[in-house]
Amino acid sequence: MSGFETLIYEKTDRIAYVTINRPKAMNAYNIQMRDDLYQILSAIKDDPDVYVVIFKGTGEKAFCAGADLSEFLTAPSPIAARKVRFERDVWGLFLSIPQPIIAALHGYVLGSGIEIALCCDIRIASRNTRFGLPEVGLGMIPAAGGTQTLPRTVGKSKALEMLLTDEWIDGEEAFRIGLVNHVVSDDTLYDHANEMARKIASHDPAAVRAAKQAVVRGMDVRLSEGLFLEKSLASHLSAIKNKQP
Amino acid sequence: MRYEILSFHRENRVMVIQLHGNGTCYGEPVQIANELNELCNTIYPDPEIQVVIINLEQTGWQNKLTLSQTILNTDPARDNPMSWAEPVSKLEIPVIMSINGYALGQALELALACDMRVASHASFFGLPHINDDIIPWDGGTQRLSRLIGKSNAMEMLFTGQTINGEEALRMGLVNQLIEGKALLSKVMETAQKIAGKGPIALKYTKEAVNKGMDLTMDQALNLEADLYFLLHTSHDRTEGIKAFQEKRKARFSGE
Repeated sequence: MSGFETLIYEKTDRIAYVTINRPKAMNAYNIQMRDDLYQILSAIKDDPDVYVVIFKGTGEKAFCAGADLSEFLTAPSPIAARKVRFERDVWGLFLSIPQPIIAALHGYVLGSGIEIALCCDIRIASRNTRFGLPEVGLGMIPAAGGTQTLPRTVGKSKALEMLLTDEWIDGEEAFRIGLVNHVVSDDTLYDHANEMARKIASHDPAAVRAAKQAVVRGMDVRLSEGLFLEKSLASHLSAIKNKQP
Repeated sequence: MRYEILSFHRENRVMVIQLHGNGTCYGEPVQIANELNELCNTIYPDPEIQVVIINLEQTGWQNKLTLSQTILNTDPARDNPMSWAEPVSKLEIPVIMSINGYALGQALELALACDMRVASHASFFGLPHINDDIIPWDGGTQRLSRLIGKSNAMEMLFTGQTINGEEALRMGLVNQLIEGKALLSKVMETAQKIAGKGPIALKYTKEAVNKGMDLTMDQALNLEADLYFLLHTSHDRTEGIKAFQEKRKARFSGE
């Protein structure tokens, strides 16, 4: 199953693979990729056979080196741009995917690239990875959730340091600050990602989705509401189980 | 206003505020509050200032107990003290705290109101209020727990113990540890680097992170997007992308 210009979509054994595929442009994010991503994420969201998703990038240089700036000079009016942003809210969709998503990261993970990684639930990086947010140096701010997902992942202080200085960090440093779950050698990156995906896919998918929902939605509400959500999800799960023969 | 405790100077677009300790304390707390307030009021509207460094330096200290006692001497009920953290936290531009020595009590609360903290290896941090049967009142209980997590914060607050630079780095209380002699020049290097970015983008980034962390994810993403689209109208955004494509340094005007 493919037919996308900028992404490759594959499914094997309940694991879906989304591969960013513009190696000549260091996998830069462009408008076409937004549309492709929107279609693929919509399909994943509604596919009960997908238990877990892996995001990765083709080519040796980059997972995704940022947004394709060649499309930026003809900026539409802010009114039009805002309308487009929320008409096809690809980032909102990304963050609402019920299945766990693993990002397998290598090379440049910059701008939109790090924002894609931050929309995933678990990040594994090879040592050669370079993370950074160059937006303020271009007179911009991140717009794919980076100002929100980054501080929620590494804390406000480290997030502001990365956002304001545009200093890039490597895999080890990313591991130290909690930006990635694991840092591994370059040649074992996909083995690690696959192994983790298989482990997740071996569990009851309803339980896995409930666990993700409890954490993601629970972090967004007051503790008392989070505890209530957890209880509801747990009792819903055991109700399903009790019905099974 | 005459500044008796704070001294300050500009290096290009970076304002450096010096807060020097004389061995036992940083000075009369209410006076420091007044001066910080006044200084921040002049920094706020000044378009030439892009980044602030607050340099907290404790030279010639002898007895850390004396220091903490002196700082704690301000009893909020009795002395009607004033906040150090509040005027600094209201600044829209990035603020970096450089710490060399003891950042205890209200001095640490001031550090917590900054966006980043960089310290020397010979630095110490603590909120010793509990030793005097009081609690922090200049944001310490709120900002510390949000920064280093509830568990680490509780430990510092309950024990009143002072932690060293290594421990502070591990907990995420400071962003970096740097050798004492090189500290201020390193911090200045970072500040100058930040000062070369788009001025509106810097302010909006700080706003998006600070306000966004207090919102639900959904609302926060909307805030980010709205600020982003507002930037669409700026000269700096066009200039930034143009400069990148022409492989030259951007000339931001703040418009």
